[in-house]
Amino acid sequence: MNTSRFIGIDVGSTTVKCVVVDPDEMKIIWSRYERHETRQAEKLLELLTDIHQTYPDLKTNKVKAYITGSGAGPLIDVVGAGFVQEVNAVALAVESLHPDVNSIIELGGQDAKIILFKENKDSGERQIITSMNDKCASGTGATIDKCVLKVGINRDKLTTLDFDAKKIHHVAAKCGVFAETDIVNLIKSGIPASEVLCSLADAIVMQNLSVLTRGNTLTEKVLLLGGPNTYLPFLQQCWQQRIPETWRERGYQAAEGVNPEDLIIVPDNAEYYAAFGSVVFGSAELSADKTYKGVDSLAEFIKNGRKSELNAGADQGLHKEIAELDAFKENYKTPLFKPRQYPAGSVIKAYIGLDGGSTSSKAVLIDEQGELICKQYQLSKGNPIEDTKELLAALKNYALEQNCQLQVLGFGATGYAADVLEKSTRCDVNVVETVAHMMSAKISCGDDVDVICDIGGQDIKVLFLQHGQIKNFRLSNQCSAGNGMLLQSMADQFGVKVEEFSAVAFSAELSPKFSYGCAVFLDTDRVNFQKEGFSKEELFAGLARVLPKNVWQYVVQIPRMSELGRKFVLQGGTQYNLAAVKAQVDYIKERVPDAEVIVHPHCGEAGAMGAAVEARRVVEQRGYSTFIGIDETINLKVSSRTDEETRCNFCENNCSRTFIDTESPDGEISRYIAGFSCEKGTVESKEAVVTLNQKRKQLKAEFPNLVDYEANRVFRRLPADKVSNDKKCKQDVMSMSLMKTMLAVIGGTKHKAQKEQIRLMRKKVRVGIPRVLNHYTNAPFMRAYLEGLGLLSNNIVFSDQTSEEMWLEGGKYGSIDPCYPAKVSLAHVHHLLYKKHKRKALDVIWFPCITKIQSFTSEMVASTSCPVVAGTPKVVNAAFTKEKNFFKENDIAYYDRALDFTDRKLLEKQLSETWGDILQLDKDENIMACENAWLAMETVDLDLQRRGLEVLTQAEKNNTVVLLMLGRPYHNDPGLNHEILEEFQSLGYPVISIRSIPKDSGYLSRFFKDDIEKGLIKDAFDIADVWPENYSVNSVQKVWAAKFAARHPNVAVLDLSSFKCGHDAPSYGIIDQIISSSKTPYMAMHDIDANKPGGSIKIRVKTYAYTLERYQELLNERLKQTNELEKRVKKKRIELLQQHIKNFDDVLMSEDSNKWIKIDEQYQRYLQESADKRDLIQKKVVDINARDEVEVEFKRKDFNIEKENNQSALLGQQLAGSQTDNSVEVKKGANANEK
Amino acid sequence: MKSNNVFKIDFDVVENKIRAYEKEQAELLNIEPGQTNHWVDKNPTDFRRHQRENTTILFGGLTLMQDVFIQAASNGLGYKFIALDCPDNAAMQVGKEFGNRGQCNPTYFTVGNLVKYLIELRDKQGLSTREIIDNYIFTTAGACGPCRFGLYVTEYRKALRDAGFEGFRVVLFDSDGDLNQGGPEMGLDYNVSFFRGMFKAIILGDVINLMAYRMRPYEENKGDVNRALEKCRQLIVAKLLSNKNVIPALHESKKILDAVPLNRLQVKPKVSVIGEFWAMTTEGDGNYKLQAFLEQEGAEVDIQPVTNWTLYIIWAVMYDARQQLKLKNKWTTRLRLYKKLLLLRFARTIMLMWFNRYAKAIGLNDYHLADMDELAKDSHEFYDNELRGGEGHMEVGKLIQSVKYSKSHLVLSVKPFGCMPSSGVSDGVQALVTGKFPEAHFLAIETSGDGAVNVYSRIQMALFKAREKAQKDMDQVLSTESVERVAEYITTQKLPASWYPKHRCALTAANTVYAMRDQGLVSSH
Repeated sequence: MNTSRFIGIDVGSTTVKCVVVDPDEMKIIWSRYERHETRQAEKLLELLTDIHQTYPDLKTNKVKAYITGSGAGPLIDVVGAGFVQEVNAVALAVESLHPDVNSIIELGGQDAKIILFKENKDSGERQIITSMNDKCASGTGATIDKCVLKVGINRDKLTTLDFDAKKIHHVAAKCGVFAETDIVNLIKSGIPASEVLCSLADAIVMQNLSVLTRGNTLTEKVLLLGGPNTYLPFLQQCWQQRIPETWRERGYQAAEGVNPEDLIIVPDNAEYYAAFGSVVFGSAELSADKTYKGVDSLAEFIKNGRKSELNAGADQGLHKEIAELDAFKENYKTPLFKPRQYPAGSVIKAYIGLDGGSTSSKAVLIDEQGELICKQYQLSKGNPIEDTKELLAALKNYALEQNCQLQVLGFGATGYAADVLEKSTRCDVNVVETVAHMMSAKISCGDDVDVICDIGGQDIKVLFLQHGQIKNFRLSNQCSAGNGMLLQSMADQFGVKVEEFSAVAFSAELSPKFSYGCAVFLDTDRVNFQKEGFSKEELFAGLARVLPKNVWQYVVQIPRMSELGRKFVLQGGTQYNLAAVKAQVDYIKERVPDAEVIVHPHCGEAGAMGAAVEARRVVEQRGYSTFIGIDETINLKVSSRTDEETRCNFCENNCSRTFIDTESPDGEISRYIAGFSCEKGTVESKEAVVTLNQKRKQLKAEFPNLVDYEANRVFRRLPADKVSNDKKCKQDVMSMSLMKTMLAVIGGTKHKAQKEQIRLMRKKVRVGIPRVLNHYTNAPFMRAYLEGLGLLSNNIVFSDQTSEEMWLEGGKYGSIDPCYPAKVSLAHVHHLLYKKHKRKALDVIWFPCITKIQSFTSEMVASTSCPVVAGTPKVVNAAFTKEKNFFKENDIAYYDRALDFTDRKLLEKQLSETWGDILQLDKDENIMACENAWLAMETVDLDLQRRGLEVLTQAEKNNTVVLLMLGRPYHNDPGLNHEILEEFQSLGYPVISIRSIPKDSGYLSRFFKDDIEKGLIKDAFDIADVWPENYSVNSVQKVWAAKFAARHPNVAVLDLSSFKCGHDAPSYGIIDQIISSSKTPYMAMHDIDANKPGGSIKIRVKTYAYTLERYQELLNERLKQTNELEKRVKKKRIELLQQHIKNFDDVLMSEDSNKWIKIDEQYQRYLQESADKRDLIQKKVVDINARDEVEVEFKRKDFNIEKENNQSALLGQQLAGSQTDNSVEVKKGANANEK
Repeated sequence: MKSNNVFKIDFDVVENKIRAYEKEQAELLNIEPGQTNHWVDKNPTDFRRHQRENTTILFGGLTLMQDVFIQAASNGLGYKFIALDCPDNAAMQVGKEFGNRGQCNPTYFTVGNLVKYLIELRDKQGLSTREIIDNYIFTTAGACGPCRFGLYVTEYRKALRDAGFEGFRVVLFDSDGDLNQGGPEMGLDYNVSFFRGMFKAIILGDVINLMAYRMRPYEENKGDVNRALEKCRQLIVAKLLSNKNVIPALHESKKILDAVPLNRLQVKPKVSVIGEFWAMTTEGDGNYKLQAFLEQEGAEVDIQPVTNWTLYIIWAVMYDARQQLKLKNKWTTRLRLYKKLLLLRFARTIMLMWFNRYAKAIGLNDYHLADMDELAKDSHEFYDNELRGGEGHMEVGKLIQSVKYSKSHLVLSVKPFGCMPSSGVSDGVQALVTGKFPEAHFLAIETSGDGAVNVYSRIQMALFKAREKAQKDMDQVLSTESVERVAEYITTQKLPASWYPKHRCALTAANTVYAMRDQGLVSSH
């Protein structure tokens, strides 16, 4: 053989592996693998040099090299190696080494791959099915690494940790950043490290099983490959537990009597499989043949080659000239802070502020005037109480070192850890981070701050202020989180101290262009750029430059920055990094040239300062502090446990909770409960749950939540008198043509027995309908239609509302990853199949493709439903019939025929085609059932609108705020809206839905009349003035509702959209424009997904609640001012009228002492029609002056009421032009009465 | 009943005084005026005939060839059309800066491409914003709902507004509409001549592209095909600019292409590129230059002509009309529907006629446009024909037909990240299709403008199997010896580009040998 050796190279995202293979025996004779620490080329050179040293007789022309792995790209030609795609390489290696393996799961640093070997039943061939995670789920190995760092567990302990399925907490493994956010929350709630890691492992495994398998079953034997699978026993155990569960669920028979550990295996030397596989592949594939170039070529490439290949489109560095940089550094150097010194023996009276952030914890002391005394900072060590104890001990030491005594006047906490501290230390305030940052910025930078931008480790918070209050805010969602942490972890990866980041970044002359967005994508970009040869200096500069894009373009989404104001304050620990600051300042000044960009003097501790300031305010107001004391806190004993006893059994979720008990030195124990997913988890006894439920009921009655009401109402059956509508049906029969009636009668006689049979048959038919998607709109129709055909209402069965449990059980069959409302439909159908059907057999599952939906809005281009929503029934069908037909297996028919709800005739035809066979329908009864169904829809709509009207009227009467949920109908599902609305309901805000807004033109006229008059819209339901391309019904309705909210002073908005919602995306900008023009309070959650980001929701709810409180104050203030104005105007009116009347005073006084004012009805109408006078008339009618009542009758000549009704503005002009006729007659009261 | 004591007061004087007082007091009390100026989308579209001379009409979005032909055809009608360059990553970055979050990447690419062009006009060519707004318009097809594509215009307006070009006109023609849109005074006559020009340009682009993708993988000298295509392009553009018959130019082009030496005996796996319309049509960064990458990796690309899309739109409207005819509608409605069907049938016939004529003239032999009725029938079981948006049932139908007729070794479905009809529905359904047709080799990839390395890696993964399948096709044909004989024959006979073997299997090389066998040049195994 010509070839003396094969070299197989695998350049992964974290490691380089090399093997030397003997071509005759195809055996590995040499192998080595190393972490490359992002120096792939250098590490490969080291390994190849080692090979050449080990085999000094190796001749380059006798070597064939093959390369694989995600980092192989730039090295292929340099080394002269044939490229083999890594999945193919792994598959070949496994086929060669483990012919009995049917499934492979490989978790890499950035990728997860699943390879399945399946036999084609027709051809008998062994086919390979491969799948890799899509870009949104990448970063598995890297995520585990980062989380391990966060948890703070040492490597040795990690390899001995066992998987415990009983102590699992919720972690979203859909993407690395989501998982990190949840992990931070768990750590901050005091959950032990082992439980956090097991939860992470479980989440990753379940995510891969539900998405990456693309609905395929992983049949034995299953091979686990890749770094995490190889080195983490708890992850292996998790696979070994979860995969057999899917076998049981899907009826797959695994080999009997064999332990799962023997069916799901981790082979030795698995790390070399890809490298070996590339040789196996390459040795047989001519096209991958290349001339091996040895180590010299690689060395040359490292020395000179990379630079020249850099992308010519790279950006410049962070500065153009040195002078510019020097000036910047001078302007923005961090002010030196020296803790205040006290004479020995002093008593330092101070307030403590503590910010338990995601990556670090900070504490400050401020004096009674709010001035900073000292500050402490430490990286989080995992447990928030332990962090707090250490920080407080440091503060105490600060005093002791000066021989002083620290007297704590109050304690305020903010950040992720605030909740647990509230319980354990009874702190004076638990203030939401956004508010803490606002207070701190105002104290340090003045009341005239316009914008505050805080970049922490995990979150970005941008606050817009007006008159020193939060006017609006934007928070990073899960998809834009983790930016600060990324800079830090990047510095770590390159072995640079985070404080030196900026110095390194400033030395770069160019920077690669990162695509902004999610931190996982940024990290992927980083890996790619590194492969291209960018240096760490350039990468650092590039990352700094992308940060402002992430803040302003991705999180804030307001391109016209100058509208935000001109005084910008930058806060958060990331601002210590001057490279990040420079990028921010340049970005802002480019767009707002006269901007004043200030870095908070204590940017890292800004949150803690805000908490201290708020504690000072509250304690001063209250007169005392509730804080248990600094020594007591330092000496707190903490214990936590998660076991069967702590599990919450008050609902089906059975959340695994953690009880964190803190015992103060005086023996008092306080308990903080973490890990629950609903309110019931906050209590421990049944009695407490009862009390909780009672409170809840009371709250519901007081502050209705019509979103919740609607979510239930649409699926309930209507009272018989409302739907059956027998009378109408009879009328319909009467109205049939004579011929038809006769035929019906004849047919009726002929087939009477048969009809009776059909009737009885229909009574038995049971239909399951998933409670999903547009069924939240059309369920009343569907139910009433079937009931109208004689199906028993008990036999029309809807799946339950979405729950996490349902999703985990039934969501694993899908092959795609669309928005959550669509993919959860699988779980609902699964629920019907395996819960409802098992309880009592169903005959049909009805999940129609609803292509078009009816809408109350007008002038629409089209009335389509979202294509994903419309097509999901087909996807569900595919998922449940792909490997085997689960419907058939359960003896259920699945009906998904398309329906068009905008064309009644077509709908009748489509329904008849759906149900014609099984229910033996005749045409007329189909038509009647449809009419019944439309009536049911109308009834539900009216009921909802009536309730909406009540809520709105009440709010207007009481001058209070109502929250309107802008969402698609299925966001009514509490499992989809994460019960955010209930949070607001519990804060005392009634909630209405789009459907419950009264659609009466008369009612709406006061809001839309002006626009109609201006010719902007044709009627109140037209949105062409803001969105001419109005195809999508649900988005159009959202936009319409936003217009309504903008015009109703008592309505605030909560805007919900699902992650990947393509139909809502174009409406974001429109709704933003509508809402910001009217200054309506607004909060958006645009990336709702399967996981409930508890921490993120909490900050949002608290911040928005704060905004709503300020808005309520504004409404109160407005009312107060309006009342005052009214009073003044009333007084003035009397004065003016009296001035006129005074001339006739003698007459009036003499003839009738009992005088009062009455306004002629006709004139009243005129005034009412004239908007600017309407208020005046109301005021006048109420009460002029009890002492001075005079009846005045106004009589207008040439008064044309009709004309005025049509055009009050024109009338005003007419009136102005006919002053002489505008006289009124003042008559004596007695005469007026006679008249 | 009139009182004796009737006195007159001028009420308006009182009211005016009170109003003034109220205003003054409201200001003192810091009360904001009650009337809010609610936001209105100005949606400027007014383009008049008299402005035509000074107005440059921007457009773009199809293949490079089609954009050039549309530009030429429109300019031949007296307009000043300029095709924007193929959108690149820089355009996408601009689109992301000024667009809504959560859009799909065709939106970012195409919207960003327009804004980027205008920014360059302003910043590099020194035109004032006013001049740009007054003298330029953008035109595109509208009414493509219900996927995001139909909502693009909203995005154009938002991005233009936010980038400082508020008032810039985006003028739409309705792709589902009739052939006479707009009024007599409109700057752009959306009339029969206009649409005839557009459709001809699209079809010309299709036939040239189809020829190019058939030839390029087999060229003997790298670059020959592209050089020849450039010559053809110039010939056709000249005819379109002068509004003359293009057939002679196509005959001329045929000669040019026939002169390019090809070797169709190379075993190149055939990859059908299907998926979302824009992602599979664009030839730039929007799909990571997918077609070029596939050719570079040694594949023959089976592209989807834009004409198919037009035929699908016609099919959809006809389908709906037929459904309506099955209902009990008034006779006037029925009459209207029959008329509509007749017109659509006529339009379809004309399109097919043009396509076949052009294809014949340039030498595109043995190419058949998809039969829309058959496609619908094949896919209906899996993907309800009444589901619309994006490519509708076509993706599923194309995969089925790829297996049914052994059209390709790999079906690559390319779509933007989070594409609603394609990633959100079709791919889910394809899982069942591939289950039913295990011989189908299918890969779905999402594009987002970044992460090209991962996408390439996935394609390479799938190409491995495609190559195996291609080799198997070849192995099944004839002995190596026979192949060598065919090669020798082809070299001596210099088979032209317009010679194309009849379809037997997916592999062109195998088909070539089959064709030779049919001619008696070689014998069977």
